[in-house]
Amino acid sequence: MSETTVSLKRRKRRINAVSVPAEAVIHIIMILFCLFCIIPFVFVVIISFTSEESIRQIGYSFIPNEWSVEGYQYVMKMGAQLWRSYFNSFFITVVGTICSVLMCVLYSYALFRPDFKYRNFFMFISFFTMMFGGGLAPTYAVSKQLLGLHDNYAALIVPLLFSPFNIVIMRTFFQSSVPTELIESAAIDGSGEYNTLFKIVVPIAKPGIATIALFNALAYWNDWFTAMIYVRDAKEYIPLQYLLIKMQRDVQFLSQNSASLGAEAVKAAVNLPAQSLKMVLVVMIVVPITFAYPFFQRYIISGLTVGSIKG
Amino acid sequence: MSTAAVNVNTDLAKKKSARRKKTFMLTTMVLPGAIWLLLLRYLPMFGIILAFKDYKVYPKNPTLLQNILHSKWVGFAKFKFIVASGNAWIMIRNTIGYNLIFIVLGLFFGVAFAIMLNEVTSKFVAKTYQTLMFFPYFMSWVVASYFLYAFLAPTNGLIPNMQKAKGVPADQIIDWYNYKKPWPFILIGARMWKGIGYGCVLYLSAITGIDSSLYEAASIDGASKWQQIKYVTLPHLKTMIVILIIMDVGKIFNADFGLFYNIPMASGLLTSVTQVIDTYVYSALMSTNDLSMSAAAGLTQNVLGFVCIMLANTITKKIDEDSSLF
Amino acid sequence: MKKKALALVLSVAMMATMLSACGGNSGTSSTDTSSTTESSSTETASSTDTAAPAEDELAEHVTIKWYLEGSNVSDDTEVMAAVNEYLGEKLNMTLEPIWGTWGDFDEGASLSLQSGDDVDIYFTCSWTTNEYSQYAKDGYYVRLDDPENNLLEKYAPDLLGLIPDVLVDGANVEGASGFGVYAVPGYKDIANQYCWDVNVTLLEKYGYTIDDVKNRSFDQFGELFETVKQGEGANFFPLLPESSVIERCVNRVAAIDDNGLLSYYFNPENPSEPLSKYGNVLQNKFATDEFRTFAEQMSKYYAAGYVDPECANSQTSQETRTAHQLEGSYLIGVQSYAYGYEAQASQERGIEVQFVPCEDPYIDTVSSRGAMMAISTASKNPERAMMFLNLLNTDPYLMTLLEYGVEGVHYTLNDDGCVVFTDKRADYTPWRNGMGNITILPPQEGEGVGYVERFKEYYGASHMLPTTGFTFDTDPVETEVAACKSIVEEYSTALYMGSAKDGMLDEMLERLDGAGMQKIVDEANRQLDEFFKSK
Repeated sequence: MSETTVSLKRRKRRINAVSVPAEAVIHIIMILFCLFCIIPFVFVVIISFTSEESIRQIGYSFIPNEWSVEGYQYVMKMGAQLWRSYFNSFFITVVGTICSVLMCVLYSYALFRPDFKYRNFFMFISFFTMMFGGGLAPTYAVSKQLLGLHDNYAALIVPLLFSPFNIVIMRTFFQSSVPTELIESAAIDGSGEYNTLFKIVVPIAKPGIATIALFNALAYWNDWFTAMIYVRDAKEYIPLQYLLIKMQRDVQFLSQNSASLGAEAVKAAVNLPAQSLKMVLVVMIVVPITFAYPFFQRYIISGLTVGSIKG
Repeated sequence: MSTAAVNVNTDLAKKKSARRKKTFMLTTMVLPGAIWLLLLRYLPMFGIILAFKDYKVYPKNPTLLQNILHSKWVGFAKFKFIVASGNAWIMIRNTIGYNLIFIVLGLFFGVAFAIMLNEVTSKFVAKTYQTLMFFPYFMSWVVASYFLYAFLAPTNGLIPNMQKAKGVPADQIIDWYNYKKPWPFILIGARMWKGIGYGCVLYLSAITGIDSSLYEAASIDGASKWQQIKYVTLPHLKTMIVILIIMDVGKIFNADFGLFYNIPMASGLLTSVTQVIDTYVYSALMSTNDLSMSAAAGLTQNVLGFVCIMLANTITKKIDEDSSLF
Repeated sequence: MKKKALALVLSVAMMATMLSACGGNSGTSSTDTSSTTESSSTETASSTDTAAPAEDELAEHVTIKWYLEGSNVSDDTEVMAAVNEYLGEKLNMTLEPIWGTWGDFDEGASLSLQSGDDVDIYFTCSWTTNEYSQYAKDGYYVRLDDPENNLLEKYAPDLLGLIPDVLVDGANVEGASGFGVYAVPGYKDIANQYCWDVNVTLLEKYGYTIDDVKNRSFDQFGELFETVKQGEGANFFPLLPESSVIERCVNRVAAIDDNGLLSYYFNPENPSEPLSKYGNVLQNKFATDEFRTFAEQMSKYYAAGYVDPECANSQTSQETRTAHQLEGSYLIGVQSYAYGYEAQASQERGIEVQFVPCEDPYIDTVSSRGAMMAISTASKNPERAMMFLNLLNTDPYLMTLLEYGVEGVHYTLNDDGCVVFTDKRADYTPWRNGMGNITILPPQEGEGVGYVERFKEYYGASHMLPTTGFTFDTDPVETEVAACKSIVEEYSTALYMGSAKDGMLDEMLERLDGAGMQKIVDEANRQLDEFFKSK
């Protein structure tokens, strides 16, 4: 029996596939765009292996005068702080993604239910914060002084836990993939609300949930601003992304204030990490999350979930 | 008759209690999010009044809240600077103009790429494409600006160097960071480059949610690929598309600061094509760091955005109730 | 539904009010010490006249948090162990430094101050967003010589005496509690002296000597540039400018504040006097003939290919400049002089560097507020903070420990008593000028014995601009300043570097006019007149 379904599927796909020339055109467009996307990164990798000398002489180039692993050696010398930051980024991303996806699914599922009494109210309070906020300083004061969100992991996770944007997206996913009859029939069968959500709705909405999880993971992995604001005394909580941004900000500040600082700026700039080092850090940030990407993609690319509506 | 009435009554009571229980359970689901919103979004909102005050420290109890409460009301005085440079029209035009283009092109490319990816037969190849498309998203605008600079830099840039090698006379080599014309295209290109992978994922996973039996039925009915896209895929994506547009409209007065500041390398001579509200506020308040003035600028952007989003939502609601935000 | 939402927003706002008020209070009570009230400290103070703090004032152990700028510190355990052992004995306190870096200080310290964090001491100065006179005026800092609670008199009676008068003058501002001192100025490089930074090695290669630079004015450099450019090739750029610094090398002009809108011209013969042409009147920086001549000359040099176009990009100019300096690939650069920097620069760049001063060293308001330490009004223990600042600026042991680290770990002393750094120094490099009195430090190896005496002599001889001590309070014209500032941002780099096109200066002046530049100039001059009257 299983054999017949397989052959049936294959046949169907053939029937419904685009014509060969059309697919060729698609491939050409995709390959061109992918090149456009990947070349800058390749370039960053090349610069990360370029010697400072070469950058000073001919600037950034695809074919440097001289190769070097100096940047990587320097990074390795940072030792403890670097690995600690790596760990922090992983930890924050994993814990943050799990918690935020859970919160998002719960919140948007309730909003998706047309029979939820306070649906509009909770939709509005979430939407309203997308438009209005108290500003940086008041948020900082409340988080830090009232909620104790500083110099700990919570300070790096909590501020990004909830995103009104993702709520709307998730709700739309539910609306377009989960038939309301399914929930009604589950209710008649005596299934509890949480049971319905996790046993019936979540499996259907997997592509949507994977998308939200991906967005959240990216948000956590790329976040440096939270760390800059809330990690001040305890440097052991600094995530990788902020380690990189810090160096860039140092350089930028010194160039903006070089007139006031005079020789101080030049002296300080000499101690700052060089160009290739910055690119080394970019490589170190991008590579791990790229490996995590296929994990989410499994669910996002079609072929997995179709048909699950029936069971 | 009395028993029937009792039955109806108990039925009603049961239904009521079931409804109450349902409401309760659903409320517990929104609770974590609602608490988060209350603590991290609504509590700090007292900061909004900063825009109407001249922020000074209250020495007797210098907490932020006390400071705000004891600061003097100044009405709309802190808003004036937004339009005082004589450039207000240009920066508003740029902000809205670029955002509109981003919305339209982002939508077009996002949907088109998602549909194309979905048609790629080999799932492995499709995944590879999608992974590669996501790379730009990882690169901050600062890094992206260095990349662009490597091509365009006047002394060491790849393009000027190639021109020099070819013997192009010095005065015909474009000084990119001082030459306005190409910049709208560069900025739009940069934005698309960075954002398509992200937008595409959304539409792709929405397409994934479409029941394949619909396509099968369509193809059995003899629908061509185009017709399938037109009559199955697009209607199915409609809600997602409309929702995303509505939300983008709400941010139409807020520009992506990193893009407009870093990609042109903050070159002053490009201002008329690169200045947006956010970069103006940054350059105006850079050295003063005036809390009230930045609050005023933010509030203005948000109120205008709020008006736009409510308008968009109302219009949508009239046309298609299901696709509206609320 | 909307009414409900509104009601919710309102009730939440109310709650916020209540909660944060509670938060503020609980913050007070939950700190490990209940603060000495101001009245009690006043009483004790009146009974003690000596600098040594009375026993009962030190009865409680307190923690002082100290926010610094420009640090590069990854491991301070050893240093802080030693510091806190010493401070525990001396002042019964623990010091908790917050090592702000160049990149995060502005954002971090402003947020911290604005939200009333429990940080006691902040670095402040004239050139970051944490701007001394503005923040003093807005009430962020404790007035140290407040007649009602004169912390300086009580806990640091000798401190200001150790610091040059000009720094004390600079520290006196019109703050939230009247005209007085709101921060302890650091004794560091205090004067401005703008110099041509000359690559002598290259100069001599083409048969010139340093005198050829000294005897020429800016508009006569063209000949040198041309010769060297011919010899070194198209990708060599002889002139290495830095935005506003090059203007100050060419014209005798001082900035009035951080906004870069106004100029004060002083007498080239004697910086203590105004340029007679203008007198004690502030000018629209870009509207003077002097500026126009300078900008035109820069344009000529830029057009002739003497300036690297990458310097004309505000984002990359500093990196480009550092690269050219380290390569030694320039003929004449500009440098705001710091005492003892010439030798260091020669060594770093592997060429002979000589600085040709364009004027006598002078002090203005901006340079007199280069680095200071202020006590936050949110501090629970301003008394102890003051005692600490006093000790820091007068006790060589403490200062050396904090600046250079632990002897034998971060540095060793050579036979002359000069500091030689070890590899561990890389983990602990605070910004030397950002702490306080550097004249009580032992000299570093490159500086040599007697450095402090030479340093004091050099800066002691500097002139004081007539405007020193004057602060332009921009509040009455804040809208105009913000607007003009954003306009200046657009054009200034191009004008300074010479990449500006014809007519750009006029275009800018016209737009500045429209944005109310004249109002700013008038207001500033009105304030300056008052300043001179009160002097």
